[in-house]
Amino acid sequence: METDVLEAEIVLPNHFNFKRVQMYEKYPKGQARGRHWKHLKQIIQAENFQNYPPNEPNYVNIESPPPMHPCKRICDITGFEAPYFDPRTKLRYANAEVFKVIRSLPSDYVQRYLALRNAAVVLK
Amino acid sequence: MPFISKIERQSDYSHFDSTVPIVIDNGGSYFRIGWAGESEPRVIFRNIVQRPRHKTTGETITVVGDHNPALLRYFDCTRSGPRSAFDNNVVYQFEIMEYILDFGFDRLGADQSQIDHPILITECACNPVHSRCRMAELLFESYGVPSIAFGVDAAFSYKYNEQLGICNRDGLAICSGFMTSHAIPFINGEAVYEACCRTNIGGYHVTDYLKQLLSLKYPHHISKLTWEKVEDLKMEHCYIVPDYASEVRIFQKGDKGVEEKTRCWQLPWTPSPVEEQPSEEEIARKAALKERQGQRLREMAEAKRSSRINELENEIGGLEFLLKQLKQVEENNVLTFLRETGYASKQEIDSALAKAIQSLRKAKGEQIETEEKMDSSMAEKYNLVNVPDDMLTPDQIKEKRKQLFLKSTTEARQRAKQKRAEEELEREREMKMEEEKRLENPERYLEDLRAKYQQLSEKVEQRKRLKTNGNNTNGNQNGSGGVGRGERLNAAQRERMRLLTTAAFDRGKGEDTFGIKDEDWQLYKLMSRDNDDDEDEKPTEDEADLARVTSRLREIDPTFFPKSESGSLMVEAPRFRPLAKEDFQIILGVERFRCPEVLFHPNLIGIDQSGLDEMAGISIRRLPFKDQGLEERITKSILLTGGCCQYPGMAERLEAGIRMSRPCGTPITVVRASDPILDAWRGASVYAAAMQFPHQTFSRMDYYEKGEDWLRQYQFSYTI
Repeated sequence: METDVLEAEIVLPNHFNFKRVQMYEKYPKGQARGRHWKHLKQIIQAENFQNYPPNEPNYVNIESPPPMHPCKRICDITGFEAPYFDPRTKLRYANAEVFKVIRSLPSDYVQRYLALRNAAVVLK
Repeated sequence: MPFISKIERQSDYSHFDSTVPIVIDNGGSYFRIGWAGESEPRVIFRNIVQRPRHKTTGETITVVGDHNPALLRYFDCTRSGPRSAFDNNVVYQFEIMEYILDFGFDRLGADQSQIDHPILITECACNPVHSRCRMAELLFESYGVPSIAFGVDAAFSYKYNEQLGICNRDGLAICSGFMTSHAIPFINGEAVYEACCRTNIGGYHVTDYLKQLLSLKYPHHISKLTWEKVEDLKMEHCYIVPDYASEVRIFQKGDKGVEEKTRCWQLPWTPSPVEEQPSEEEIARKAALKERQGQRLREMAEAKRSSRINELENEIGGLEFLLKQLKQVEENNVLTFLRETGYASKQEIDSALAKAIQSLRKAKGEQIETEEKMDSSMAEKYNLVNVPDDMLTPDQIKEKRKQLFLKSTTEARQRAKQKRAEEELEREREMKMEEEKRLENPERYLEDLRAKYQQLSEKVEQRKRLKTNGNNTNGNQNGSGGVGRGERLNAAQRERMRLLTTAAFDRGKGEDTFGIKDEDWQLYKLMSRDNDDDEDEKPTEDEADLARVTSRLREIDPTFFPKSESGSLMVEAPRFRPLAKEDFQIILGVERFRCPEVLFHPNLIGIDQSGLDEMAGISIRRLPFKDQGLEERITKSILLTGGCCQYPGMAERLEAGIRMSRPCGTPITVVRASDPILDAWRGASVYAAAMQFPHQTFSRMDYYEKGEDWLRQYQFSYTI
């Protein structure tokens, strides 16, 4: 290892005196291990929140509801207020100049703009 | 101001008694660790882990937090980016969490056989018990921690500010973090989680939105737009507007305020060296060089020609001499003489001579008068043509047929030649007439010609468009594929459609009989022929006319400039120009307030939840009992905390938003925490140093005796 890297101590050592179980003991090298963690979705599923009284706060029921006021539609490119909607690209746009721009955009850019507001076509 | 990590190793670990708790604020973006009772955390670093491979040895190493990127040049970071232990705001990857804790304890100076200090660690509100259990197990099993307490960061921050007198015992904490934002009401100094609410939006979303918008706007500079850089840009330039619509209108109209609201980031750029025009001398020198080269080539060709002429003349002389000799040779010696010379007969010598003479003429550049020769020999050549068939032998008949064929082709050729000559004359006459017309009234003539050109070119253009329409749809290459709205088919496609529809509908009554008769299948032949039609592109009459008019205009009109071949339909290709300073600027205009706007309208990035201003109202509505006095007390003390509330204009906007949803005349006070980022740790430090803290912790024994269900009920009490 290079000396400047060692001096900066950026590399985490394998062994720590203060640990009872070292990393290399817990996850021995060269041993295949499957995914050993649960994603948040799986964690929530396993919690069985539906079995608990609804007035008891839990991770799921403290989430905010959808907004009461409809969101202002803004132009996907410029951020201006967008009175128009292009049915072909599904982008919202503010004026004729922006329309010209969106019609000349390559389709992957269109999809990326749509993905910004989670409206892109997702192929599964 | 960009946040700077603090990762020097502490040396005074052994001075602390084992009863002094260690306080950890395990936040979504930063990890802070320090001693209870102190006012600042000892160690702060970004809550991420990278596991790159060494480029030469291939060894996988672990790097925790942010480091000087220059030091990572020895490692291949392309395969694994920075990873976080958090999914949303819940810790789920405890392997990563363990690396982070290792690094944190190590930098705090831990060197004994275990971490023999109680731990107070923060978690999110209503943390799922799975995550809480794993964290407790990790701390007990791997580090030998004697006891643990869990608390909520937003609550610690609120309580800390309450102690500072910034907010009251009843109030509301609005904490906007890295991945999520919470609104937590407090009654009598205790957090009421039944009434809290969470929106899954935070600083991460703002930075990500800004990063995406900028990389879509400046695709050439994507490499410059790293996460860290965009985060810096966000912290330095983003602000929150009181009213999005009116602010954006300023930009749309391009008022004079725009300039000062726009920020420009100049990327490093060095002007490319300007290419110097070659000097006069240089041009002259090059021309002279070219001339010399041409001269040499010409000389070489001349020399070759003269040598060839010389050779041919010698050959002819030789052959003539041979013939002369042959005349003098006696009859019976002819054969032996010929054998010596290598020729089979006298005719052969004759033909060789003729050939040589012809070549000589060619080399000297003389015209070969074959045609005339042909004329003179016409009579004897076609001697059989006028003789009736019955007077000839079969061989002669064959010969006659040949002659007839030859004669007719020659005559046809001559006729064509004559016609060409006539046409030439005609054209010349026309030209003369046009010239006269032009001389008569040059302006008028020019105008007529231009009009004609216009008309013709439009006609040709129209035809071309009809033929190719459908391939380039309205000049739009976004490749939505197929035939969409408002797009026309080209002629061939239209015809094919027609054929298909007639095939589908015309046969039988409600019964598909296509293919019973053999001629049904002719349809496909027709269709494919339609396609081939496009390919034979002979210039039509219009096109020829157009070419003629164009050349004429070119001759007489100096201002005339023919339209480009591709026509005006095509999008004008960007002309090449040297890159300028402006191409290396990243301009932040609307983005400065568009990105933080997602905190108030998560819908802008497709998250269907209420924004920060509505959350206050929701939280108050969720309170277990209705009490107007309490509600007023709560709205009088709204505390803003968390890294995401540092934007200028945040408090004003939030106050205006909350005022809209509360009854008229409600007193509303929104205050910012004394330090929105560190207050959570400081609050926790105060609680960990308090006398009652040991009662709030639980030990390894407690955990394994009472089990998960008990840990689910565990709640830190903030009222001492």
